[in-house]
Formats: sequence, C-alpha cells, structure tokens
Amino acid sequence: MKNSRYIVVVGCGRLGSLLANRLSRDGNSVVVIDRVEIALDDLSPDFSGFRINGDATHMAVLKAAKLKNADVLIATTHEDNVNLMVAQVAQKIFRVPHVLARVFDPRREEVYAQLGIDTICPTSVAADMFLEAVANGGTHQDGGVS
Amino acid sequence: MREKEYLKKRYAAMFSSIGMILLLSGGLMLTPLLILVSNPEESAHVLWFCLPAGGLIILGGILWRLFRSEANTTLSVQEGGIIVIVGWMTVILFSAWPFASVLGLPFSRAIFESMSGWTTTGLSVVDVTAAGPMVLLWRSIIQLAGGAGLAIIMMSAIVGPSGVGISRAEGRGDQLVPHVRQSARLVLIIYSAYAGAGSLAYWAAGMSPFDAANHAFAAVSTGGFSTRVESIGYWNTLRVEAVTLSLMVLGNLSFVTAWFLWRGKLGVVFKNGEIRLQAVLIPLAATAAFIWTCQALYPHMGKAVRVAVFETVSALTTTGFSTVGYGNWNAFGVALMTALMLIGGGTCSTAGGIKQFRIYLLFKMLVWDIKHHLIPKTAVAELPVWEGNQRVFMNDTGLRQVTMFVFLYMTTYGLGVMVLCAYGYTLRDSLFEFASALGTVGLSIGITSAAMPDGALWAEILAMFFGRLEFIVIIVSLLKISRDMRVTGPVVHGFVQRHSHTN
Repeated sequence: MKNSRYIVVVGCGRLGSLLANRLSRDGNSVVVIDRVEIALDDLSPDFSGFRINGDATHMAVLKAAKLKNADVLIATTHEDNVNLMVAQVAQKIFRVPHVLARVFDPRREEVYAQLGIDTICPTSVAADMFLEAVANGGTHQDGGVS
Repeated sequence: MREKEYLKKRYAAMFSSIGMILLLSGGLMLTPLLILVSNPEESAHVLWFCLPAGGLIILGGILWRLFRSEANTTLSVQEGGIIVIVGWMTVILFSAWPFASVLGLPFSRAIFESMSGWTTTGLSVVDVTAAGPMVLLWRSIIQLAGGAGLAIIMMSAIVGPSGVGISRAEGRGDQLVPHVRQSARLVLIIYSAYAGAGSLAYWAAGMSPFDAANHAFAAVSTGGFSTRVESIGYWNTLRVEAVTLSLMVLGNLSFVTAWFLWRGKLGVVFKNGEIRLQAVLIPLAATAAFIWTCQALYPHMGKAVRVAVFETVSALTTTGFSTVGYGNWNAFGVALMTALMLIGGGTCSTAGGIKQFRIYLLFKMLVWDIKHHLIPKTAVAELPVWEGNQRVFMNDTGLRQVTMFVFLYMTTYGLGVMVLCAYGYTLRDSLFEFASALGTVGLSIGITSAAMPDGALWAEILAMFFGRLEFIVIIVSLLKISRDMRVTGPVVHGFVQRHSHTN
C-alpha cells in the first residue's frame, strides 16, 4: 500500500521533477503541475503520471489535478508565498492529509509550523551542515565532511 | 567502451521483458485446451498446441531468468518499441504453428492467419467449416489478446520493467490514471468486462455458448474472426446484430473515454472529438450507404437498413464482421467502405486505421486555417481540443506528427494497392482489400483466400503489422537496433559470455 499513494507535485523545476520521477518510478500515482510548459519536459521516462500545464494558484487547475483525492501534496515552486498558498488551499479546502512545502526563507518556517504545514527549508538545512562542518573544523583531516 | 557497457545493460532489461512476453503468451497458448472439457475428440491436436506453447515458455523463461536484474528499470520509447516488435514477431511466429500443423496450411498462410489474429484484423485464409473447435477458439483468443496488446498484458501482470515507452510503442499512449501500471490493469479490467458481458449477451441472443464466446472475443477486440463462413450473417437476426453493433462500438471507443463513461461523466464524453465525429459520421455513412447502395440491392426495406448500418459500423470500427458479401455492391458502396476503413476507430482503443482523433484534428485545423484568413492578421487565435477532461491547445509539433502519420499511412496504402494491382486484381478490389488489411479491419471483397499469390499475401501481412503498431515507433526502433549493433558488434555473444562468468 505504501507505494501506491496519490501524490500531487506543484512546480516542476529541478527538485519537483526529481521528486516526481522517483515517486512515479516507485509506483505512486503522481500528478505534476507547472505554469511553464517546457518545464514539464524535464521529466524522465521514469515518470508515468499526468502533467498539467497551469497555475497552481488557480482553483480550476487544482481541481483538474483531483486534489481532493490526493494523499500527499508537495509544493516545490521557487516562490515561498506560492508554496504557502497552495499548501494552505490543499489543507483547508481539499483536506489533503499530508501537505509538504519547500520554504527558502528560514524566518517563515515558524509561521508555516503554526499553520500545521510540514516544511523543508533548503537554506536552514544547508546552514546546519555548514555549521557542523565549521564546528568539526580541523578534526576531519581526511577530507570527508560527515 | 562505456557506451557498450551501458547498451548491454539496457538490452538486458529489454530481453528480460521480451522473455516475460513470451512466457505469458506460452501460457495463453494452453488456454484452447479448455475446449477438451466439452469436445474430448479434439485431443488429437493437443500436441500441436503444447509443443509451441512449451517452446515459448522455455525460450521466454530462459530469456527472463538470464537477463533479469534487481533494479527496476524504466524503458524509453525506442526501447519499448524494440520489445514490442521483437515480442510480437516471435509470438506471431509461434502462434502460427497450430494452424500449420492442425489444418495443414503452408507456412505463409499460417503466418497470415496468425498475423491477422494478433493484429485484430480478421482477414482469413482458413476454411472454418473444416477447422475444429480448438483451432477456432485459438483464433478468437489470439484476437482477444492482440486487442489488449502483449506489452499491456505483460505490464499489468507482473512487476518488472515498465514505463510509458512500452505502452506508447503499442499504440496505447493515453493513460487512464496517473500510473502506467495501474492504467494497464484498468484497461484489462474494462476489456475483460466487455468480453464477459458480450459473451452473455450473445448467448442470450440465441448463439451456442461456443459461438457466443468466440464472437464476443472477436467483436470487442474489433477483430472479426467468425466461426461461420457467412460471419454474423449466418444468424440473420436483429438481436445478434444489435449485440454485435454495441460490442463493436464499445471496442472502438478509446479506453480513456470508456473510463469516463464507466464513471458516468457524460459531459466529458460528449466533448470528446472522436465521439462527436462518430456521432456525425455513422448516421451520415449509414444513410448514404442505404440510399445509393443497399436500397436497390436488397428488396426488403428492413434488410437494406440493417445491412447499411451494420456494414458501415463494422468498417469504421475496423471490426470486419459482415452480414453480406460485397461482390455485388456498386462502386459507391465500395468507395464509402474504403473511406471508412481508412478513417478507422478511436485512439487508444483496439481499433486500427488512421484514427478518428487525427481526422478530427486535421478537420479542425482546416476550419481554423480558413477562419484565419478572415480575421485580422495580428489576431491571436487558439486551437483548443478536449483530451479527456482537459482542454489542451494543439501546438505545431503535435500537428506535424499527425500530418506526418497521415502522409506515411497514405503512402503505404498507395504502394500496397499498387502491389495488389500488379498481381492482376482490379483497382476497385485492391483499394478495398488493402484498406482492410492496413486498417486491420478484415472485411474482404474476395482477394484474400488460400489461393492468393504469395507476394500479395506477404504485402497484406506487412500491412497488418504496420497497421497495428505505431509506424514511426517501428521505424525508429529498427534504426536504433541496427545502430546499436554497429556500436557493440555481436551483442548477444557478449551477453552469454558475461553471464557465464557471473553464474
């Protein structure tokens, strides 16, 4: 059952297309939404889901993606505000059980958390790794940053 | 060197898939043995089914085991094309075996019958009065499986290599649900439901259970093999014809449309271009056939109407069941039927031909082009088409592919007609018969018979193969094979060596 969920990915950039390819290959039903049609060409043959060319902030587009049946929504556009909006719409209107959003600005993470949206912040993830590497500074001489 | 390694890995995945296809078809070949329950006297032919089935299973098993890899490989469209071509050709070759052995057909005739079955054409060189029930059932089963498609069956049956490439290579590019494997499964469920319901309906309409199953299989696959010489005309009842009509229309419906219909989304169904085209084309063609052909030919008014409707639907859906012969039809009737056969059925259905969607698109483009001259030069116009429940805009690439396909199709058609003419058939008969073969229809005006010359026979065999699978995919895949051969040298040799090392 685990690998046959219905997943909607919003944004088909480098991250969105990678996620969509992997999820589809693992057997999930995946629908990808992107505003730019050529962005959808980034999907590899691994991807066997549906592609929707449209603005995910429009209700009609989300309805076309059958968001109300979705188990998971992942918002990966490069705009924090778009991600937040799509995530909120998915959660409040379409009642999607699991909503994930990418957020670049670490200061916004807290706001998202209050709204009950799971976030992944590439900036803070990178920052943590840098800090760790700095703290471990001279101890790892063999070149590996763990 | 690195390319060589890479290609080896890809071909290993392809061979493993081909092995799986052969394995499943081998199993399929044993299903006609079920007839022994009711007809034990057929046991004499058991050997001729078990031998090729065993061959397929062993060959398939070896290929599958030898090249199986743990990684869940996804195949591209060209790779899918290679699987489909090699898989189909091998299976068609083995399926011809029972025809050759049981009925004593020469090699070329047996291949013709097998090809006609798998491509759901329905042209036949078998004398059905002399054939036993086991062979007749085998013909129908071939059509049922061929209608679904070997790769679709493989993909839905097991876990293994998958990908949009495989289904696209078999002409099933449109998906019902956003995952290729689940989509394939759904297609098979809908398809089996048709076949089951069709069998029951035929039985209720007065056929024997054996005839009911055979005709249901042949109708939903838009195949058209019959157990009687007169085809559906043998029964000559309205009920049987009504059941056949509905099965043919269902079979020619795109599975995507069928899925919407199944869920009761009628609004979406009626926006579909193919449905609209059919809604205009079928009544128009039937009326024309009635007025200019059937009226004069059949004295009884009711009979004339029935013939007009039945034959036009049979031609458009590329099924190929008939209730009458066409020898005495006038030129208009033959021309109309030829045109319908060229247009063909729906995309992503079991039917063949140019496909209604392409015709609809070209027609829309023509209208749009004329309109374009009437509006200001700088006006921006859009060309919307309904695909499923989505409104999409046709771009130039899509249109180019469509026109290219139609060009290729008509070129092949022209060449084929010339081949038949060269063998001394009349232009009228050649036009009709080759449209029937290329569109995988199966209506015959009399050219196709056991006595026809070999050249004409092979031309039709090729036409059926090209008509069933996607033209461009076949060409591209064949080119890819020859190019890869040059890169790797003797490919197969390398494989065996590598595997004997690892084992």
